[in-house]
This record gives sequence, structure tokens and C-alpha cells, in this order.
Amino acid sequence: MLYAAFLPAGPLPALGPAFNPTTGAWTMAADAQVTDRMLHLVGLQQPVSVTLEANGTAHIAAQTDHDLFLATGYVHARFRLFQMDLMRRQGEGRLSEVFGKAALDTDRFELRLGLLRTAQVEWGQLPAGDPTRDALLAYAQGVNDRIAEAESIHQLGAMFTLVGYQPKPWTPIDTLVIKGDMTQTLSFDDTPILVALINKSLGADLTSEWFPVLPPNRQSPYDPGPYPKAAIAPIQTMRTVTDAEAQSAEAAYQAIASLPAGLLRTEGASNNWAVAPSKSASGGALLAGDPHLDLTLPSIWFQLSQDSPGFHVAGVSIPGTPGVLLGHNQHIAWSLTDAMNQQTFFYAEKEDKAHPNQYFWNGAWQTYRSVSYDIPVAGAATEHLIVTLSVHGPVISDRGVTTSLWWGGNLPSQDLTVLMHINQASSWQEFRDALRGWHSPTHNFVYADDRGNIGLISAGYFPQVAKGQPWLPLPGTGESDVTGTIPFDYIPQVYDPASGILWSANQWQVTPAYPYYLGTANFYDPGYRANEIHRVLSGPGKLSAADMMSLQTDTRDFLASEIVPVLLQSLSTEKLSPTESAARDLLAGWDYRMDTSSAAASVWWTFWQSYISETFDPWWKSRSVKVKRQDVERMLGQDLETWTLTDPANRAFSAPGVGSRGAADAQRTAFHRAIAGLGKTLGSNPRSWTWGRIHTRELTNLALITSLNYGPRAERGDGNTPLAAGGAISTSGPSWRMVVDWGSATFQGVYPGGQSENPASSWYVNRVDTWWDGRLDPMLSAAQAASARGAVSWSLAP
Amino acid sequence: MRLYVSFLIAGLVALAVVLLGLWWAPFVIGLVFGAQERRGRVAVPAGAAIGLVSWLVPLAVAHERYGLGPTAQSLAAIMGFGHEGAIPVVLTLLVGTLLGLTGAWLASAGRALIPAPR
Repeated sequence: MLYAAFLPAGPLPALGPAFNPTTGAWTMAADAQVTDRMLHLVGLQQPVSVTLEANGTAHIAAQTDHDLFLATGYVHARFRLFQMDLMRRQGEGRLSEVFGKAALDTDRFELRLGLLRTAQVEWGQLPAGDPTRDALLAYAQGVNDRIAEAESIHQLGAMFTLVGYQPKPWTPIDTLVIKGDMTQTLSFDDTPILVALINKSLGADLTSEWFPVLPPNRQSPYDPGPYPKAAIAPIQTMRTVTDAEAQSAEAAYQAIASLPAGLLRTEGASNNWAVAPSKSASGGALLAGDPHLDLTLPSIWFQLSQDSPGFHVAGVSIPGTPGVLLGHNQHIAWSLTDAMNQQTFFYAEKEDKAHPNQYFWNGAWQTYRSVSYDIPVAGAATEHLIVTLSVHGPVISDRGVTTSLWWGGNLPSQDLTVLMHINQASSWQEFRDALRGWHSPTHNFVYADDRGNIGLISAGYFPQVAKGQPWLPLPGTGESDVTGTIPFDYIPQVYDPASGILWSANQWQVTPAYPYYLGTANFYDPGYRANEIHRVLSGPGKLSAADMMSLQTDTRDFLASEIVPVLLQSLSTEKLSPTESAARDLLAGWDYRMDTSSAAASVWWTFWQSYISETFDPWWKSRSVKVKRQDVERMLGQDLETWTLTDPANRAFSAPGVGSRGAADAQRTAFHRAIAGLGKTLGSNPRSWTWGRIHTRELTNLALITSLNYGPRAERGDGNTPLAAGGAISTSGPSWRMVVDWGSATFQGVYPGGQSENPASSWYVNRVDTWWDGRLDPMLSAAQAASARGAVSWSLAP
Repeated sequence: MRLYVSFLIAGLVALAVVLLGLWWAPFVIGLVFGAQERRGRVAVPAGAAIGLVSWLVPLAVAHERYGLGPTAQSLAAIMGFGHEGAIPVVLTLLVGTLLGLTGAWLASAGRALIPAPR
């Protein structure tokens, strides 16, 4: 009994301090109360006021920029300290210190990848007096003020008490690491490894056909050209991968596959668009944005407005960082989507036994650098990790052939400086100039201003290699190194187009005529959301803010609108059972909307999964492909769409063991299987097979406590619809929705979740219903918030 | 009468110290109480009662001020008991009770090992 009270046992905390009624986990009840307060913060220069709306949105008004960032740090930490600590630990490879051996793989991976090293370099590059440096220091002071306060009043988050540790002081490097976390999530991609493994199994010929450089299907690029002339390198055909390269790729693939979800980019899914006054019902520019990320509780976002002499901005910030990432100021609004271009390159290093610990590069033997880390592990001995680095980057595999990694996220990038300039910009010129310094991750930044201008620019690095096939591991001997990036003036961008509309949804930004390498098709989204958004925006008539909201929750599946007519044609001569006939009739009368009450949606989705399986599984089985088909399904689906529409006799339909057949044969077989499967799981009446019975969404607790999840709940949409909800149980999607109408000067937004990470707080999930229904909350100004009902006021004093 | 006074004082001291954040107070107070009271059958239940009261009162005060329902449910969820908020409440009071009981029992057992003066 005494042991359990005083000491932790395995995953259990020491019961005494954990359940202490005055300082233990029960203090989350007091923490959940938010009332008017007057408090003193170390480091403040002048008084600061914080207004908290009834829904938790924070409005910070400071008399100096320094105080603005200090107060932002305090407010973030007041509501999200555990989340912030988890995020910095993840990037710094320190999760094992509190969660034990279970987190060791993640820590090793992160320390190899190098977010911490990059953050340290970025911090070192900021000279004394630099505004970003000052902002980071002020922000850290604010976080540390909250940590000190929470410790003194015993109101550290319950998770700290239950896991049994205290947060260390916040530093500017922690903020830069969190910025790195996001870069990793949005731009670290293992595609070349997957393609290498597939190449080894299927052969260079099929791999080249199925994983082409340019997208095989019809897409809606936002920048149609013409493009400035530049030297064009010929597209090379796929080379064959060696055994050693395949071994190395397999080791890296397995290592990456063992990581928790969300650490690297899996598929793109974000939307943004802008409408010019010529197409706007209000007469002003419209802007809409909904970045799609893992939907967690608490959310990655924290909503706030910031007012100081230098800043008047509102929107969402990432806890742990001082600025607004998506939002608006007095003159401009912006949002972003992932640009999806290739930013990860793998290099096979040339080694020789006569030159131990060396690799051959640029005509000479170079010695690997190494960095040592100690990883403290809760309940076990500290692990010593040595990270080996070539000129390309960290070595991630030494099986077969030593492979190192060049990743754009490892280049120091003062994104926070850029962000502060964006926050202060008042014109496209200032906005665009600010983005010159944005390097990684590359994003499609959409823009609309109060003078009726709209723009879209894919800012960031687009790495170019001197020669070779960057979609496979490249030779590390120097000739295939990354030599630069597309010049800023030549990256995809459009300003005030004649059409009056701009849109991005992770699709190819440009046409095949674009003269620079962006990545291969499987880095990008297949483009169905972009096609649907373009279809709606380019329709006749004027568009309103309500139309923007409606498009954000659009459930029309563009792929279905292309394929279902072909399927119905293929089934027209097929003998069908009564159940199959009923299912076919559902499809024939369908509007292609993936609504929860639609039975046709279930038939379509199940058919499509079955069609992919029917086409590719025999290849995967007969050729023993070592990559899970699901890991490359978006690309395979794009191929299948293209063949179905334009090449129904493609050899892919005649896999080994299935004989000679075409697309229609595969569709018929897939349809029979899909209906049989649905009948088995949902009953014999196709009208009852509603989409909501097999498709749900779940918001997952960040600490992986399933009882604190929201859902699963029946949900509309799928992976192809603007309302993104991929998979049978969708755990990612629109993480923030914003609509700006400059004509009526209205700003609206919402994210799923709530401002507080405390599950006992009324602000833990209070925004979910609004978000789920497709509604938005008004983004109030600080003055409006102060007079709103239920607002709470804090006075912060030096 | 002396027993009741001792019990009352011990309970109040334990409560005051717990309110200061020192959760282990019932154990120490139970230890002292058990060392003073020669009858184990009295000391042990009294120690348990001291532990229970000194942990119950702060919890009741917190409930009165903030309402512990959502917190109890959240703790149950974190502990893997769904949203059965009663479980963390019972567990918390059990820890307090057992701290007091263990202290008193340990002292009583120690007393039993010391030979009585002839």
C-alpha cells in the first residue's frame, strides 16, 4: 500500500500525489474555471488586457509588441501546456523520458531526422535585437510565467500529475522545434523508398507506368501559365533498383512504418480559394480556407486575436508559437494548403571497406560526421544514440547500402519572421515579398484583400537535382545532389486572374508545360477536390460567403461523377441478382453526394475499393510487393481512373493469374463482390445501406486516451470530397474553416474541439457541433468580444 | 474523553496539513496516533477515519466550489474506466483512508513488538 502511494509502478503513477485532493489531478476542476482575474506577470512592460469570449476565443491587447508575445505565451500555456510540452518532446526526441520504452522508436527517428539540430541553427542565426528573436524570448517568458504560476497554485495540467513529471522551462528553441514538427508533418515523405521497393517487385517498366512523373488524369491547375522559359531537362525513364538499394529501402520503410500516425505526410487534403469582386455577391473579395490535418483533442489550433502597436491580426495560432498562422488583419486575409512537391530525397552513399567510416562524394573520400544524444527513458536505462551524417543529411539505413536523407525541413528557415511580416502586410506586394523568405514546408498561400485583389502563390523551396531520378534513391557521389530551387519569380503564382477565381486543394499547381521538376504524380493529390471546387466556383452567377461555407462542406465526389456512368454502362449487359439490380438503380439515380443518408454512396465507395483491389491485388500477390497497397492507393486510384476513362484495355487489368480482360470485366467482378460484401455486413435491402452506417469520424485525444475521444459519429463526405473525410473511420479532415468576405467585412471561422486541453473544461469540445454542422462562428474584434455576453476579462500587469 | 480529544486533534491536524498540499499527512498522523494509543483495535479504525476525513473534506470543498462531476468523469476516462466518475472518487478516498490506517496499524504493530514494562 505504501509503495503504491509513494512510488510509481509501471504505467501507474504514485497514487498519493496523483490523487492528492488539494494538489493532484483533482485540481483540473479548478483549472476548468475561467473567471475575471488580475494578475502580475514577470517580464511585462505595460498592462495587457485579455478578453476571453464565451466560446474561449482569446483577444489580447498590449501596448508593446513585446508584451503581446509574452501574453500570447501565457495564454497558450494557460490552456495548452501539456500539448505544447508533448509537441516539443516529440520534435526533440524526449518522449521516452516520460512515456518509457514505447516512445523510443519515435525519439530515435526524430533525433536522426534532426528537428532539434535545425532549430538550434535557426536560433543561432537570429542576431541580438532581431524582432523574431525578441518575440521568441518574450513568448518563452510568458510560457514560463504560466508554468511558475501553475506550480505555485498547484494547477499544472492533470496529465502532468498523472504521468508524474513537471514541465521544464520553455525556450525559444522549443518554439522552433514545434515549427519543425509541422514542417515534418506536411513535407516529410518516403515516396522514393516506396517506389524503389515497388520497382524491385514490379519492375521498372510497370513502375514507370503506374507511378508517372506527371499526373495521368485530368486536373485543375490554378496556374495555367504561360510560364517563363527555362532550361528543360528531359524526363528520364525509370531505372532498375539494385538489390542493395532495395534492402536499404526495405529497412527504411519498416522503420518509418513503425512510427505513430501523423509524423510524416501521408496524403494531402486541404482546400483554399479566393473569389474576386467580379464574381462576388457582396462586391468585395472572398476568401475561404480549410487546412486538413489529424483531428485531435485538443486541436492543433488555438484561436485568438492580437493587437499591439505593430500587430492587428486575428485567426488561429499553433500553441507553442507566437504568431497567427491563418487569419486576417485589417487589410488582408490568407490561408494555406500543402504544396505537396518533393522535399525529401534519399541518397545511396558509396562506401568501401578500405575507407571505413567514409563515403565517396565529389571525387574524394569524406568522413561521416556524427552527433551523440542521450535519450533518458522512464523506467529504463538512458539510451545512447549516435547519429551519422553525410553531406546530404542523416543516415537512415545502413542495411544493403547506406542511405542518407536530404530533407527541405532540415534547412534553416526563418518562417516565424515571414509569418510576422505576413501578419503586418497590407498589400499583395508586401505579402508576396514576405513569402520570399518562406522555405519549408512549401505551401499554397491564398490571399484576398480589402481592395478586391486576390492571389495564390506556392511559396517555399522546390528542390532541383542536377541529374538522376529523384523519385528513387539517388547516387550519393555528388552528381545528383540538390543544387538549388526554382527561383521565387518562377514558382507557381497567380494574381488577380481574369477568371476571378483561384483555388488549391493539393493538386498540381501547373500544367504539363511547366518547365521545372516538382515531384512525381504520387506526391500530389489526385485532384478530385480541386476539380469539384473549380467546377463550383466557375459556375454562373455570383458567390456569397454562404456559398463559400457550403462549398467547404460539399460532399460531391468528383471521381464518382466520372466513374459511375462508366460502371452503369459496363453493367448494362450483365445479369444481376435482385439485390444487385437494386444497388445499380441506386447508383443510376444518385447525385454523387456522399451524404450520411445516401445508400448509393455506400455502394459507390465499396465498389471503388473493390475495383482497386480487383485490379491491383493480383499484381501485389504474384510479384510479392513489399509495400502495402494502401500506402500507394491514391496513385493507383488515379491510374485506375485514367485507364477506366481512356485506356480500358490497359494491361494492368490482366494481372498474372486472372487472364486477359479489360476494365469493364474488372468492374463487373468488383461490383458483384462489393454488393455481396455489403449484403453480408448491412443486410439484404440496399436502400438501408446508408453511408453513415459504414462511415464515421472520430476526433482523437492527443494523449491517446480513447475515452476522451469524440465519436466515432456518422459522417458525410469521403477522401475525394471538399469536405474531406477519408477512410471508413476518418480521423483527419478540416482542422479549421475560415470564410472572409471583404465586401461586408465579415470574418468567420471554427475548428473542431475547444480552446482548452482540460477534458473537465466546458471548452474541451464546445466547438465540435458548430463545426460538424458546417456552421462558422463570427471572428469578433477585441472590442466586440469585450461587450459580448459571457466574456471574461483578465488584466495582466507588470 | 481523552481518546475523543486526541482523535479530533489528530483529524484536524491531518486535514490542515493535507490542505497545505502534503498528501502523506494521514500516514504520519496515523503513525503518531497509533503510537499513542495502546489499543490496536481502536487505533487502526481511528487512523482510517483520520485518513478518510482529511482527504474527504478537501474533495468536498472542491466539489462545492467547482463541481467535480466533469473532473471525476475525465479522471475515470484517463484511468480506463469509461466515464464512471464514482470510481476515481472512491479510489481517492480509499487512498486517504488506507494512508491513515496504514500509519496507525504500523505504529500499533511496532508497539506490540516492544515488551510491556513489568
